[in-house]
Amino acid sequence: MSPAGFFEADGRRLSRGGIVLLMAPFFGLILFAFFYPLLSLISISVLEPQPTVENYQRVFDNPVYARVLFRTLRIAVLVSLLSLALSFPLALVMANSRGPKAIFLAACVLLPFWSSVLVRTAAWAVLLQRNGLINQGLQAIGLTTEPLTLLYTQGAVVVAMTHVLMPFMVLPIYGALRNIPTDYSRAAAICGAGPLRTFREVTLPLAMPGVIGGFILVFLTALGFFITPALLGSPQEMMIATLISQQMRELLDWPFAAALVGVLTLFVTAMTLAFSRVFRFDRMMGGRA
Amino acid sequence: MTVATAPQARGASIQIEKLEKQFGAVRAVDNVSLTIAAGEFIALLGPSGSGKSTVLMSLAGFERPTAGRILIDGQDCTALPPYKRNIGMVFQNYTLFPHLSVVDNVAFPLKMRGIAKADRHRQAEAALEIVRLGGYGQRMPKQLSGGQQQRVALARAIVYRPHVLLMDEPLSALDKNLREEMQLEIKRLHSELGLTVVFVTHDQSEALTMADRIAILKSGKLQQVSPARELYERPSNLFAASFIGEMNMLPVEWDGKVARLLSGGAIAIEPSSVIEPVQPGKSVLAVRPERLWITGPEDAGAWPATIRDVVYAGAGTLVIAELAGGTEVRIRLPSNTISGLSAGQVVGLTCPPDAALLYRADQAA
Repeated sequence: MSPAGFFEADGRRLSRGGIVLLMAPFFGLILFAFFYPLLSLISISVLEPQPTVENYQRVFDNPVYARVLFRTLRIAVLVSLLSLALSFPLALVMANSRGPKAIFLAACVLLPFWSSVLVRTAAWAVLLQRNGLINQGLQAIGLTTEPLTLLYTQGAVVVAMTHVLMPFMVLPIYGALRNIPTDYSRAAAICGAGPLRTFREVTLPLAMPGVIGGFILVFLTALGFFITPALLGSPQEMMIATLISQQMRELLDWPFAAALVGVLTLFVTAMTLAFSRVFRFDRMMGGRA
Repeated sequence: MTVATAPQARGASIQIEKLEKQFGAVRAVDNVSLTIAAGEFIALLGPSGSGKSTVLMSLAGFERPTAGRILIDGQDCTALPPYKRNIGMVFQNYTLFPHLSVVDNVAFPLKMRGIAKADRHRQAEAALEIVRLGGYGQRMPKQLSGGQQQRVALARAIVYRPHVLLMDEPLSALDKNLREEMQLEIKRLHSELGLTVVFVTHDQSEALTMADRIAILKSGKLQQVSPARELYERPSNLFAASFIGEMNMLPVEWDGKVARLLSGGAIAIEPSSVIEPVQPGKSVLAVRPERLWITGPEDAGAWPATIRDVVYAGAGTLVIAELAGGTEVRIRLPSNTISGLSAGQVVGLTCPPDAALLYRADQAA
């Protein structure tokens, strides 16, 4: 295509052809590397060895699997709420910092974020083991007399997942807070709003898109999280990703694993749609009502 | 000084006493004292970095002065936080809350004051009527034009009937026509509501048209506080003289009675035209371009000059002339009086005695 064909006649906006061309590699990749494998995997759940819905019946009929689904959901909600509670104050301090303090805080959030999930999960295993730092500390200050079982519990999974996923919460909230012009809080102050009132009436509502964005990101990632629950969780209290992996790799029951993937995918899609329905981003951003 | 005399006037007086604000090594405001009468409309005018905004922010309570006091209606509020000052303020960039409808924006200050919803919406609608935006309450700020948004900001600033209204370059984001319309709108509001207005601007014509008095600042120091006419006709120093309008600054030799142009020609200076104490010797003669007249070169008392350019601009024409020493002089004349003038022509310039002001030469303009 000639360079001219890339743009509209005004020479500034991309033409339809230009847009298609620029987007093609991305769509090619997700078609080839995401939709195709996902759909062929899910097709296994209804086509092999012969057309059937039996695998899905198993997911919902057997209370064990329903419990896994429910537990996964509960842990994801818990992790999202916990990381929201920890992230908001941090993001608020970050957004109001300048200079070395701002760089230090950003490094504290980003350095762990750039290290592997496996490393961070292993770090928690070290801390939480029977004679790990936390048990030693608890005994040293006399709170407990013998080591507690901390590792391989749901608590361990929730705490470690919160830690691992927190940057996904901090960054969108920080971005939203940082985008609020300081003049807004000045305007609120001169209107008679004290600091707390300004926060509640102006800062918080304007940060909501970031809060919701972070919440969705953490919640949806937590639903399908694998490494942390697999390493720190109890085998009796599996999450759905661990169950899928077990079905595939240990029991070699691909059709059933595929059915679980289908259920998870359906669930994530439904949640995404529901979120975008409930939270009208355009309206919150002050767009057309 | 013009003070609102209307009986319903409910502005507050403001006293700024020896205000000082230091930012690191920079003294943004340097010993500024200013008394503003209740109901007065005062403009703070100056180039950027002159400290005018810092004075305003100190009035609002966003800046804590390093030294000095601010009294509103006699009450010391130097240390009072902004939300306790009961002041209205309009910002440069409207700063309407984007998540609130127009009526909720205007009702916001009333909500902060604990007024019930129905009541505050009624008052907010009334304030919107005052700025001629009745019926726009349910829209979102983004659906309004810039001028409309600034009117909403104005309504929000007056809805709780503050005694003082601060405006921080409120019109600089608007285009020229809208700006002139809003200037009149703000003037009207000021005379209707009788509140004290402190208006920061870098636009001198805005200051001249709107304000009862204009305070000129430069490098944190107050240069002059005067009504528009006095400021224009008798600027108190060379900075004020050059900052407001056009001014010819001619180097002269002053002997205590007569100022002699270095290029030849002289003018007797009235004692009242010596604006500041000037020692005999080198000094500066300041004349507005529209006060000079062109005569024949041989006329008695005329300063010899050569016309360099004649720039026709509709009602007025700008004549650029050069004195013998090379000093450029600008003359503005009604266009109907200049027929026959052309570049290269040798003419004489005359100036009525009251139009020639004398200043010290040793100050940076």
